[in-house]
Amino acid sequence: MSGSDYSGSEYSGSDDEYVGPRGGGSNAAAARRMVEAQQQQAKKAERKAQAWERRRDDSSEEEEYVPTFEEVEDTDVPEKSIQQMEEERKRKRLRKDTKPFQRGIIRHVVLVLDLSEAMLEKDMRPTRFHAMIQYAQEYVREFFEQNPISQMSVLGMHDGLCLRVSELSGNPADHITAIQGLRTPKNPQDFSKEPKGSPSLQNALELARATLYHTPSHGTREVIIVFGSLLSLDPGDIHQTIKDCVRDRVRVSVIGMSARLKICTEIVSRTNAGDESEYVVATDQELLRELLLATTTPPVVRTSKSAQAVASPESAAALMMMGFPSRVVEDTPTMCACHGILTTGGYTCSRCSTKVCSLPITCPSCQLTLLLSTHLARSYHHLFPLRNWAEVHWQRAREKGTKACLACLTPFPEPPPPDDTHREKDTNGHGVNGGMNRFVEQAQMDWDESGEQKASESSRYECRACESHFCIDCDMFCHIVLHNCPGCLSKADPPDRRTGEEMEITP
Amino acid sequence: MNAIDASEHHERVDESVPPSLLAIVLDTNPHAWAHLSSTLPLATALANILVFINAHLASGNANSVAVIASHSNKSCFLYPTPAPSSPRPQPNATNGDVDMNGTTETTSYSVQDNPNKYRPFANVETAILNNFAKLMEGTKESHLEATPTTLIGGALSLALSFIAKATLLHSPSTSNSDEAMLAIADPEAIHTSYVSLASRILIVSVSGDLANQYIPVMNSIFAAQRKRIPIDILKLAGDTVLLQQASDATGGVYMKPERPEGLLQYLMMAFLPDPTARKSLVMPSAGGVDFRAACFCHRKVVDIGYVCSVCLSIFCSHDLPDNLCLTCGSYLSLRAAQSNPPALIPRKKKKKKRAGADSATPGGSTPAGSNTPMHA
Repeated sequence: MSGSDYSGSEYSGSDDEYVGPRGGGSNAAAARRMVEAQQQQAKKAERKAQAWERRRDDSSEEEEYVPTFEEVEDTDVPEKSIQQMEEERKRKRLRKDTKPFQRGIIRHVVLVLDLSEAMLEKDMRPTRFHAMIQYAQEYVREFFEQNPISQMSVLGMHDGLCLRVSELSGNPADHITAIQGLRTPKNPQDFSKEPKGSPSLQNALELARATLYHTPSHGTREVIIVFGSLLSLDPGDIHQTIKDCVRDRVRVSVIGMSARLKICTEIVSRTNAGDESEYVVATDQELLRELLLATTTPPVVRTSKSAQAVASPESAAALMMMGFPSRVVEDTPTMCACHGILTTGGYTCSRCSTKVCSLPITCPSCQLTLLLSTHLARSYHHLFPLRNWAEVHWQRAREKGTKACLACLTPFPEPPPPDDTHREKDTNGHGVNGGMNRFVEQAQMDWDESGEQKASESSRYECRACESHFCIDCDMFCHIVLHNCPGCLSKADPPDRRTGEEMEITP
Repeated sequence: MNAIDASEHHERVDESVPPSLLAIVLDTNPHAWAHLSSTLPLATALANILVFINAHLASGNANSVAVIASHSNKSCFLYPTPAPSSPRPQPNATNGDVDMNGTTETTSYSVQDNPNKYRPFANVETAILNNFAKLMEGTKESHLEATPTTLIGGALSLALSFIAKATLLHSPSTSNSDEAMLAIADPEAIHTSYVSLASRILIVSVSGDLANQYIPVMNSIFAAQRKRIPIDILKLAGDTVLLQQASDATGGVYMKPERPEGLLQYLMMAFLPDPTARKSLVMPSAGGVDFRAACFCHRKVVDIGYVCSVCLSIFCSHDLPDNLCLTCGSYLSLRAAQSNPPALIPRKKKKKKRAGADSATPGGSTPAGSNTPMHA
């Protein structure tokens, strides 16, 4: 499929734009490292061959082993590259930017799903529609995990119209049942919304804008469109709709499939202050999932946007009144105000004493936001993100002499003997010092953390603050799940940038 | 390459009881143990914990254990013994032997040959005692004066990372390269199919105030919740809401025994059953956990608080000096947060309004929403 190739290259292009001028530098570094690795590999092979030669001298008749040995060498090389490929793929999921920007923690997101006939394509398994439904459920779960005090609504573009799949609410279960209902409707009179007809971006944007119209100005207003089709059948002028979206501070992200569309580029760049990086194209199923899950990270609050907002200072930050209810334990079931069903126990609203059965929720009777302090704590890692860890070169690994991952005690591969290719270059004069300086220079180039995260040649990853070394699995776990650095926290006075805030924030 | 066959590893369902990994976080804060020394000295407590570890190892062949000390100046593994890093560049270090993960302590520490002792028990015991002695020797007076608390956040992070890795290694899928390739092709199929390792964390805690590690501990709790790792708490002294929340959020056991000298009995009775066995037992729990928030300005527990939308700080009143957030310094207005919810206007009025003010309400001219199904 030629379309997918095209979009693939486009995607990587936009990625480079995001990285900016640094992308080139790190690419060059990567290329150089690759060459070095190859040289090392060649060197190793050569050395081993010599050793073999000696052995062959000893035992003269075993010549049939020579091809076997070469085979072993051959399979060794791709295996290593596969491991690196996998590590690189894993590290791709790390956030590119870990600088503590102001992020829109309180989000209002409208997820628009494409239910047009283009979703019946079978380039994803079993169809695009089924893949999207599956990932959308996963997305909802992950979204509320990451953004517990945010709200979401799901819409569907079906046969020229835009349907409301679920209302704007903060309860993940509602959205998940509604999305499941697209395939297998709960009510027998509801027909299932199998993909049909053409999508209309204009209708979707208008309905999303209407949904987000009344949301408070301190939260974000985001529309995330999963768009599988290559056309939009609109009833009116979509450019007028885009203008209205810009005016209402609605930010649109589009996850396309198979190819890029001019109109989507325009929608995204207009609503994101000229930034096109929110328009991405999923060339395969796995990429679709990754791109979708990438939007669960709260967006950076733009400075240009707040410059616009100077006119109305209310749209900046707000002091929100929130209730922290206590749990009640009852022996007899009573009616909850949120679902109208009999439950024992629950939470009572701090202002009006209405009983609700789960948190976080907006009190159904007095509209107070009710939540627990743990829900707020869940968002703290967005505010104080864990910085990405740096790749470790063999030289650095040798210098630190780490043998095992600090967190899981898995042994690291032993560094190769230091008589390497680049060591030979600066052996004359002050060999070690020259090597160190070179290393420091290179390290600083690679410590450029906002770039694409790559695999490390020594399978070690170093925390920039505590200089501990970790393996790839702990790297992923700490950045994606834990959001803590075990090394920094295991020292009494870590050179940690968070300590200031930690003192402030207590339960 | 011939091994790539989707049907193969789905059939590999293990019916036996999953092996259990127990990570014990031992709070070795010298200040707190000094308070306890009249009833339960640390040496006695450690001996009791060793018996408990043996009981855990004995209850399943594949059971394993990890012990992490949460000391006042650092947190580190007591078992398995971490390989010491040699921070000097080693010229011509061409030895090919890599220290394997659980076997180092048998070689580097002398296991006394007691024929009456089961060998694995002796191994674990010697390693823990050796490392513990090393930790205590390494504690200087300056460390003790620096802080009265313990690094529970770091110890929890270490435990969680260790468990995460053990779970990965336990899964049969990532072991050989063929399946690594498969993982590139379709990673989520791999992650769903393995028999999971049942892990849990036991924190033997003696320190009181842990509020200065609120964010790291909270992050650890959420990670444990996501990975379904119960955190059990045995609180011998002190009191902290944070650890109560940890056990409540992850479904663990919380116990604050009246008489700490009965440590071994508490350990055996309440904390030995693994998650599989707990399903059929009535486990002790903390009861009501206080989840209410304390404000950042006066540390008052609040029912209704005011939250900064930028940094999520909680304040007890809305008249802040100059309307600036005390934590992040952004200008806050109370009015902006109080946006009116969408009013339900009777249909007749709505039509009039639409005709009067065009584009005041979006979506006026489009057919969208005309046949929107009601939300089920």
